[in-house]
Amino acid sequence: MNKEMIKYPFYLIVHPFNGFWDLKYEHNKRISLIISFVILFLLVVTNVLSSQYSGFLVNLYNPENMNSLMEALYVVVPVLFWCVANWSLTTLMDGEGKFDEIFTSTCFALLPLVLINFPWIWLSNLISIQEAMFYYFFTSFAVLWFVFLLFVGNMTVHQYTPSKSVGTILLTIVAMGFMAFLCLLFFSLVQQMVAFFSVIYQEIVNRY
Amino acid sequence: MVKKLYKLSAFLLAAMFFLLHISTGPGTVHANNGSDSYNYSFWGESVPAPAAFQATKLVNGASLGIDALREPNDLYVTSDNFIYVMDTGNNRVVIIDEEFHLVDTIDSFLHDGNNDTFSNPRGLFVTDDKHVLIADTGNHRVVHLDQDFNLVKIVDEPQSDLLRDDFVFQPVKVVVDKANRIYVLASGVFDGFMEFDIEGDFTTFIGANRVQVDPIEYFWRRVATREQRSQMRMFIPTEFSNLDINDQGFIYASSTDGADDSIKKLNARGTDILRREGYFSPVGDIRYDYDLGPSRLIDIAVTDSEIYSVLDSRRGRIFTYDGDGHLMYMFGGLGNQLGKFNTPIAIDWFGEDFLVLDRALGEITVFRSTDYGRTLTEAVRSYYRGDEEKANYLFEQTINMNANLDFAYSGIGKALLRQGDYYGAMHHFEQSYDRNNYSKAFLLYRNEVLRQHFSTIMTGIMLIAVGYLSFKIYRKVTRRRRGFSIE
Repeated sequence: MNKEMIKYPFYLIVHPFNGFWDLKYEHNKRISLIISFVILFLLVVTNVLSSQYSGFLVNLYNPENMNSLMEALYVVVPVLFWCVANWSLTTLMDGEGKFDEIFTSTCFALLPLVLINFPWIWLSNLISIQEAMFYYFFTSFAVLWFVFLLFVGNMTVHQYTPSKSVGTILLTIVAMGFMAFLCLLFFSLVQQMVAFFSVIYQEIVNRY
Repeated sequence: MVKKLYKLSAFLLAAMFFLLHISTGPGTVHANNGSDSYNYSFWGESVPAPAAFQATKLVNGASLGIDALREPNDLYVTSDNFIYVMDTGNNRVVIIDEEFHLVDTIDSFLHDGNNDTFSNPRGLFVTDDKHVLIADTGNHRVVHLDQDFNLVKIVDEPQSDLLRDDFVFQPVKVVVDKANRIYVLASGVFDGFMEFDIEGDFTTFIGANRVQVDPIEYFWRRVATREQRSQMRMFIPTEFSNLDINDQGFIYASSTDGADDSIKKLNARGTDILRREGYFSPVGDIRYDYDLGPSRLIDIAVTDSEIYSVLDSRRGRIFTYDGDGHLMYMFGGLGNQLGKFNTPIAIDWFGEDFLVLDRALGEITVFRSTDYGRTLTEAVRSYYRGDEEKANYLFEQTINMNANLDFAYSGIGKALLRQGDYYGAMHHFEQSYDRNNYSKAFLLYRNEVLRQHFSTIMTGIMLIAVGYLSFKIYRKVTRRRRGFSIE
């Protein structure tokens, strides 16, 4: 059982069509969710470590701007935005995926980013600037793999045709933009309201 | 218990102070010796720097014993430190010696037996044998006088097919190269500098600025009708604002548009060969108030070892760059104190020191280089000469005075690389964010390490291989003994 749990994500990333099918119809939801959170956590750790420990030649970082919490947010927020936007769209577009299925498929698709980028954090300390192209090759390969898995996962989870899933993915990205905009709007409004009340409070306190 | 807590907190406080001291100590203690000078870090932040120059003296008409300088426009310092000032308002040239005593003034010269004078002259140049060239703007000519101020030749109204019929020759600045070719910056000319041969005949234009096209403006121009287009502003290249020539005969030119190539180093063909390998292009200020706009470079002064300085008239600051384009130091500013200017118009090196001419006040501010400035300049010079050991030593001294000077670490790194201390070189290149050199040092260091531990590494690999094989054989044998195989 436990061995299965560890093996399954690796099986999925090399056999995505079968893997996502099993994920949707065969697998235990609870276990998939646990695995998803573990992958997400590992990706956060990879990102934090890579922004601190990647080799000087491929990673210029300003220690004053380094913030592990922000690095974690850069991973978690896009994933959440993606899932929410995708779910909102696909419920309107006859998608068969439930929210948890979308979330698990997205998280499973992130696994190549961990698998390839994590060793390269340490390898990048051992390469010269000429060899850095291997680093860039592998990181772009990881991204391509991730995009492919995301595509297959989305297609399988919603039972879409390939062209429809491409369209949905593009629309999802647009929807993510809208969501980011609305969030900014919401926060700035809340901030202004808070500021307004705090100013009133200060006026009252200063007067009486 | 309480005592224990107290002890613990005291220890923590001490540790904190210790840490704080480590993180801020060298930066703040040495960086700012009461100056408002700064430099730009790799990240584009302005970090405080020690003053490289200190204003010590003002020179004006009264201190020279002549009537006040009126709207002087140009300044030239010869190699033996004689100062020539173009006193535009008084139509004369004032010559001052090293001790700031008046030597002579030129206000007229003999021309065909008559006494001829200048009219609103705005630029001058002095050759190595002390011939004086004056851009006599109001008279539309360049006057060439010899060392005793006798007329050698006059360059006026150039004749050429390259020029429009209604062209008016208004020379503003002038320089002469070693082959006695004259380069003139004339106002209203957008094709670059005008080059004249030794006889004073116009030969060609060199080094025109490129036209800067705003994409939005270009779009509107495409959709506009012919009549509308004729009403629009023309796309014309920016004029140069000033020029100087170094001892190798390269022309350094400045322009005021604030573009990335507002400083140029022109070779004989007029191609820009300035190296821009610093963290930022040499353009003066990188961070600035957008209302006031970018630096407006109106004068350039080049000295030995490819070191050059530019004057920003908008904020009165003088920026000095080395040959690679690293900002070495800045000084000056607008204001009323000594060392600040009202309308700075011209700069020049004065040996190790520096002169700045103020137009409205009609005075020259003399800046003496500080210990820091001299050390840094000498370090750059030594490096330029190829004297890496001395450069290393001087750069280290510079860093002791200003730990924020990122590019100086690169200088030390290069010296260490040559001495074979690859690891130290890597460290210093990392400090100066110099990736290419870091990579070089790293390759050498990696080879060194691999060579040192070659036997260990190979033994390790062999051991792993042998271990793996024997494990496999062992598994096979035990499985067979148990009576089943994988096939």
